[in-house]
Amino acid sequence: MECTSRKMDKAVVIQVTGRMDAVTAPDFDAACGAWIDQGETRLVVDLTALDYISSAGLRSFLVVGKRLKGSGGTLALSGLDGMVREVFDLSGFAALFPVHPCPETALEALG
Amino acid sequence: MVLWLWLPGADTGRAETLKSYDFLPQWSPQAQFAGYYVAAAKGFYERRGLALTILRGGPERPVGAQLAAGLVDFGTLFLTEGLVLRDQGIPLVNVGQLVQRSALMLVAHKERGIRTPEDLNGRRVSVWEAFQLQPRAFFLRHELDVTVVPQGNNVNLFLMGGVDATSAMWYNEYYTILNAGIDTDEITTFRLADHGLNFPEDGIYCREETLQRDPAAVRAFVQGSIDGWRYAFDNPEEAIEIVMTHIQAANLPTNRVHQRWMLARMADIIRPAGHHRPMGTLTDSDLRFVAEQLHHSGILHTQPDYLEFHDPRPSTR
Amino acid sequence: MTRAPRPDKQRGLAFRLALFILTSTTLIFLAAFGYNYYCSRHVVLKNVRESAMHLAQATVLRIESKLRAVEAPPRMTARHLEGRPLSNALLLPLIHDMVAGSPEIYGGAAAFEPHGFDPEHRFYAPYFFHAEGGRIAFNQLGSEAYNYFLRDWYQIPRELDRPAWSEPYFDEGGGGILMSTFAHPFYDLSADQRVFRGVVTADISLEALVTEIGAIALYETGYAFVISRNGAFLAHPDEQLIMRESIFSVAADRQMPELRAIGREMIRGGTGFAAVTSVHTGKRSLLAYAPVPAADWSVGVMIPERELLADIRALNHTVLAIAAAGFTLLFLVVVAISRSITRPLHRLVAATTEIARGNLEIKLPTTHIGDEVQVLTHSVDEMRLALKEYIANLTETTKAKERIESELKIARAIQMNFLPKRFPPFPEQTAFDLFAALEPAKEVGGDLYDFFMLDARHLFFSVGDVSDKGVPAALFMAVTKTLMKGIAEQGLTPADVLDRVNVELCQGNDAAMFVTVVCGMLDITTGELVYSNAGHNPPVLLRAGGAPEMLPVSPGLVLGVMEEATYATSTIRLTPGDRLLLYTDGVTEAMDAGQRLFSDERLLGEMAGLAAAEPRRMVERIMAAVHAHAGGTPQSDDITLLALQYKGNAESF
Repeated sequence: MECTSRKMDKAVVIQVTGRMDAVTAPDFDAACGAWIDQGETRLVVDLTALDYISSAGLRSFLVVGKRLKGSGGTLALSGLDGMVREVFDLSGFAALFPVHPCPETALEALG
Repeated sequence: MVLWLWLPGADTGRAETLKSYDFLPQWSPQAQFAGYYVAAAKGFYERRGLALTILRGGPERPVGAQLAAGLVDFGTLFLTEGLVLRDQGIPLVNVGQLVQRSALMLVAHKERGIRTPEDLNGRRVSVWEAFQLQPRAFFLRHELDVTVVPQGNNVNLFLMGGVDATSAMWYNEYYTILNAGIDTDEITTFRLADHGLNFPEDGIYCREETLQRDPAAVRAFVQGSIDGWRYAFDNPEEAIEIVMTHIQAANLPTNRVHQRWMLARMADIIRPAGHHRPMGTLTDSDLRFVAEQLHHSGILHTQPDYLEFHDPRPSTR
Repeated sequence: MTRAPRPDKQRGLAFRLALFILTSTTLIFLAAFGYNYYCSRHVVLKNVRESAMHLAQATVLRIESKLRAVEAPPRMTARHLEGRPLSNALLLPLIHDMVAGSPEIYGGAAAFEPHGFDPEHRFYAPYFFHAEGGRIAFNQLGSEAYNYFLRDWYQIPRELDRPAWSEPYFDEGGGGILMSTFAHPFYDLSADQRVFRGVVTADISLEALVTEIGAIALYETGYAFVISRNGAFLAHPDEQLIMRESIFSVAADRQMPELRAIGREMIRGGTGFAAVTSVHTGKRSLLAYAPVPAADWSVGVMIPERELLADIRALNHTVLAIAAAGFTLLFLVVVAISRSITRPLHRLVAATTEIARGNLEIKLPTTHIGDEVQVLTHSVDEMRLALKEYIANLTETTKAKERIESELKIARAIQMNFLPKRFPPFPEQTAFDLFAALEPAKEVGGDLYDFFMLDARHLFFSVGDVSDKGVPAALFMAVTKTLMKGIAEQGLTPADVLDRVNVELCQGNDAAMFVTVVCGMLDITTGELVYSNAGHNPPVLLRAGGAPEMLPVSPGLVLGVMEEATYATSTIRLTPGDRLLLYTDGVTEAMDAGQRLFSDERLLGEMAGLAAAEPRRMVERIMAAVHAHAGGTPQSDDITLLALQYKGNAESF
């Protein structure tokens, strides 16, 4: 799995590529954690290039979401598709976070 | 010595009845007379009943004169000398001809261009007065005009280049030349015997009177001498040892290696290869040839009678 | 543990050090010694050659001067005799005075040609000589017995037409004295041409010269000798050779052609050197030779090589002795140095051997020389400390690992202890058949399954998957299961059960753990199945005679995340022969070596082939298929399967 971050005006866009499971999820945690520690409160995670996500990956989203919520921030998702979308739908996670087709729309939605 | 007395075939004779005789070789002690010295040393004369004294020979004691004067009983002479003395009326008899082949030769400096007898033409050649007949016959035979220089008792004149060629005895002076540092390839040699001029040399002579008076003693001497020669040829080192004792006693300026050479050459001329005559034999033809040569040169006035000149009995075994 | 090899003393460092140093030193020494020997030998030989040649030349000079002194009077006398009428009165005093005036001259004569002085006499040769008592005696030479015309001293100058020294001879009258005669020819110059008249002679005794030269001693056995123009020895320390042997007769006797060659060179007036084995001493010698021009003789100086080189040999012996002492000293020093090097090394070896045996507390030997050994000791000590630390760490790690493993064991125990494991679970039941299995991953995944009869008609069953691993997941799973059972037994619908369980789980869930659950309640008499799903994979329904299909589920959030979440209930009716398979994502997401998932499709495919299978067989077959798919790839998540077959003959109950 790879996480590439871009800091935009309104938020930090994190693009996640590859597979997200118990082994790789901590990397995502760390990437997001780093931004949060820097005071970022708005994260847009683009999952367009994510191939697979396990329940451990879901848990990472949950943890990150909870932290942002605690500091008045937002975790938005974009590019949900295929298997990943199925997992998010099945687990009900798609309802936990704002979901957008692409990072741009997500940023737009953030106002 | 006692043992000899009982040997079968030994001539009779007892120590107390030994007959005293003396012998004069024609030159100072050297291996030319090895047979006689050996016979004396090994008791071959004594065994035959002779108490033989070998006298010291040399140029100052010419054998012919000594024999003629009755001063010695036996002596050695060249055949030519014997013939001349007999021709002069001296009653000498040849009782054994030991040397069958002439050792006389001419030795020439090769570097002076002498390689064939003809090359001697116009040259100076030293010749012993006593042995000039053969060389002169050689010159005549090859029609050579040669300046003859009288030769002393050595070859020093030749060695110093005073003459182109010199007379030499194969067993003596020839080897002296080699041992004066001249290599064989620096000289040309002419063995006169090889050029049809074989004058037999050393023979044993005594007066007729001695032979008539005591033929047994003469025979004993000749037979003892033959035994001596035979022994010397069979045991050359021992013979040289005996000869050297005489040489040293006479304090003569010669050496062992020279005497060894001389003895070996004596064997060659006393028992030439392909020659089976008993030792001591003088053939009628040899005598005739030499006598004719001498007669032809005007040296002999008469022709000797073979049997009068030579008595074969003492040397017959 | 293998024993450290003990350094063999013979092949140890000290031995090799000594060997290398001594070998190289020896080679250097030998090279230097050889060169020195060669050079000094060269110098010595050069000096010796020079001095030998000087000696030969000096001897030549001595002889030459003596001969020249003797030559002068007869030369003058001969000239005096030429060109004037001769008479006894004139001649005799002249010869007398020549002899009397020259102590060098033993005797002298004027010898005339046959009848040359007095026609009456063939021989005429008045001879004066030094007799005993210092008086001059007279003798008239020449007789038939002494024909001087054929004597060398007369004939050779005559034939060669020049003065000449005769080949030395033993004087016949004078008691065997070795003499040589110089003879100078004189001529009658009165006629038109020069006519040889005779020679004037002067005899010289060579006795003194022979003794003098014969007595020359060089080194220990070196000597000088003189040979005549014929090669005959005139002077030699061995008197037996004088006039008896020539250098050529010796060469012939000893079969030494090289000696003959040297002799030829000598008598030809050569000057030079030769290496030859002396017949006199039997030693390999250096021969220096030079000619005596007056008489064509040659002087040789013979010095044994051993004696020539005696000094240098003595020097060599000294050098070798010093070298031997030096080598001994060097050896001792090398041994001492190498010992000083190897002693701490030996101590270090002993210490490291001790370390190798496991004693890490040992104190290493201290060195204070700041050399490589100290560096090595320091390194070994660092190694020892690192080892110690490593072993300590290893012990700790092992402990931690053991702790984890024991934790996992505990987690697994918790998990397994909470699962119903008796099959068939309700032997008296004929309306349905059920089988479940859970294969925990190495790190317990927190899967769960459960089933129980709510009452005589209703079967409650569930399959869940906790999002974490290990003991927390196991505990969360235990809590979930306990909650589920407790709440389900209150007679609620599956959706309500999930609602209530969710609320409970959300309480104090700081770890943000969650669990997905699918659960159902089956009325075994009617086949009505009420089910609800909290974010779990949809079960597979295999209708009797139909194709396997995913049971449609309404979306529901996983449990433990959000208290406000609500869950929907779905209902279907099972007919006898229908089969239901509940599973966790450990099945569909099992991966092979290429990270390919087992997948929903594969699961459906496998199920299609199991239309008639009993639940146990179904579970076993799917489990086997998942294992076959994974191959050797380690199982990363728990695998849970629960199969239910509805038979539907509940009326008999």
